[in-house]
Amino acid sequence: MIVIYSIKILWLLLKTQIRSQTQYRLSFLADVFTTAIFSSIYFLAFALILQRFETVAGWTLGEIAFLVGMTETSFAFMDLLFSGFDPDSFSPMVRMGSLDQFMVRPVSLTIQVLGSRLILRRLGRVLEGLAVLAFGIVTTQPDWTWLKTFYLPVVLVCQVICMGSIFMMGSTITFWTVERIEAVNILTYGGNELMSYPMNIYPRWLLFIFTYFVPFIFVNFYPTLYFLDKPDPLNFPVFAPFLTPLVAIGMALAAYWFWGYGLRHYQSTGT
Amino acid sequence: MQAFLKIVGISARQQMTYRTALVAGLFTNLFFGILRASLLIALYQGETSVNGMDVGGAITYVALSQAMIAYLTIFGNTEMGRTVSDGSIASDLIKPVHFILLWLGRDLGRSLVNFVVRGLFFIGLFSLFYSLYFPTGVGRWFLFVISLIFSWLLNFFWRMLVNLGAFWSPDIQGFARLAFGFSQLFSGFVLPLRLLPDWFSRLSNWTPFPGMMNHPMEIYLGIYSPSQLLGAFGHQLVWLFILVFLCLVLFRLGIRRLVIQGG
Repeated sequence: MIVIYSIKILWLLLKTQIRSQTQYRLSFLADVFTTAIFSSIYFLAFALILQRFETVAGWTLGEIAFLVGMTETSFAFMDLLFSGFDPDSFSPMVRMGSLDQFMVRPVSLTIQVLGSRLILRRLGRVLEGLAVLAFGIVTTQPDWTWLKTFYLPVVLVCQVICMGSIFMMGSTITFWTVERIEAVNILTYGGNELMSYPMNIYPRWLLFIFTYFVPFIFVNFYPTLYFLDKPDPLNFPVFAPFLTPLVAIGMALAAYWFWGYGLRHYQSTGT
Repeated sequence: MQAFLKIVGISARQQMTYRTALVAGLFTNLFFGILRASLLIALYQGETSVNGMDVGGAITYVALSQAMIAYLTIFGNTEMGRTVSDGSIASDLIKPVHFILLWLGRDLGRSLVNFVVRGLFFIGLFSLFYSLYFPTGVGRWFLFVISLIFSWLLNFFWRMLVNLGAFWSPDIQGFARLAFGFSQLFSGFVLPLRLLPDWFSRLSNWTPFPGMMNHPMEIYLGIYSPSQLLGAFGHQLVWLFILVFLCLVLFRLGIRRLVIQGG
């Protein structure tokens, strides 16, 4: 019952956000459009540089587009859904004490933070990600088995969960620091960038960190190897592409625990 | 002049206050720098030189461009535009310094701090991971510094031009994001222009953007021939005049439309 109630509240909160942001339809559409164009600049530049180099570490433009499209789509969707947990907007809530107001309301705090903000123009980036992914699929023509078809949306959902967990943890840190920590960008925007290219191009030590500490390597690189039937340059066990859900669950649990821990130790700034 | 120096000093001190933010920014730049360098190294696989730039040059290019992010404010900002929307521009307009000069001072102070902390320190840190090229002749250092000053000015006036749009539109965020996105691409910040197709670098040379990043980098790397060097400085100077002129005109026109609500 409480779950259904929470979802209802969340939907209500989000609906007000959507309504207010789409009041001026033309301005809203222009905003979505410019966001899409802006987000595609980096992929565009990469497509241009490949005109000189043709491939990177044995990957063609279409294959890279698959990688980029996956992580862009899920990162952008996460960025949209978790707008409230964006450290950029969460940190001011802690500083100004508006989080304290949430605490006296009889609704789960997590729901309220999620519902506090929904930056709809980020839809533009979702569209950009989907367009790049579509381009990747069309040019690479993967050999679709039923397992692959089933696994693709699973991976996308897992990616959203992984990135959302990082966002939540980044926001939780602001309970202690008040100011947002720019270094969190390394894991959010940096993670997105990191996963946009075949990960065997990175230095060993970096790969080690993103395999055993923050296991991003199983979130996009390995599933993509599986979807495109590419040989594994790092010789991991054959089940490596299927670790994605496990990583997502692990990161979600860690984030949820840390968020709860942060809340229990939360001290208002007094403003 | 004294007032101007005072503004620079205050802004520099303000920037120095946020030490943890400076360090965090430094490490973020470092991380992205490593990603970008790794990508270029992977692209170069087996190639010694591509269109006059070898892999060491490309890595040095990445290092320098990452080091200059904060100094040049390459991602842009809409600080000045916001003062138009929220009315705080009023207190800037009564100051005894020309409005554009006032912001130039503020930007300069911040940039000087960023040049040292997020620029020089960055190069030091980055050279622990990759070996970088350093020019040997005094002459090339001199030309590089001159070109870097011009690129700073170009960046400043480009940002000012975008922000002046706030006199005409209540919300310039979307427009500014796009404008700064284009300047990142066409300036050679995203990837070195030399490594992109020739038609693209030719196209970008019709815009002011290569002068904001690509010219000083290539001068540093010693890629330009003497005649290209002259062309690069000419390009920077001409566009600087154009941007300054446009800013002054738009400011004149904009200020007449400005209405500040009291209260």
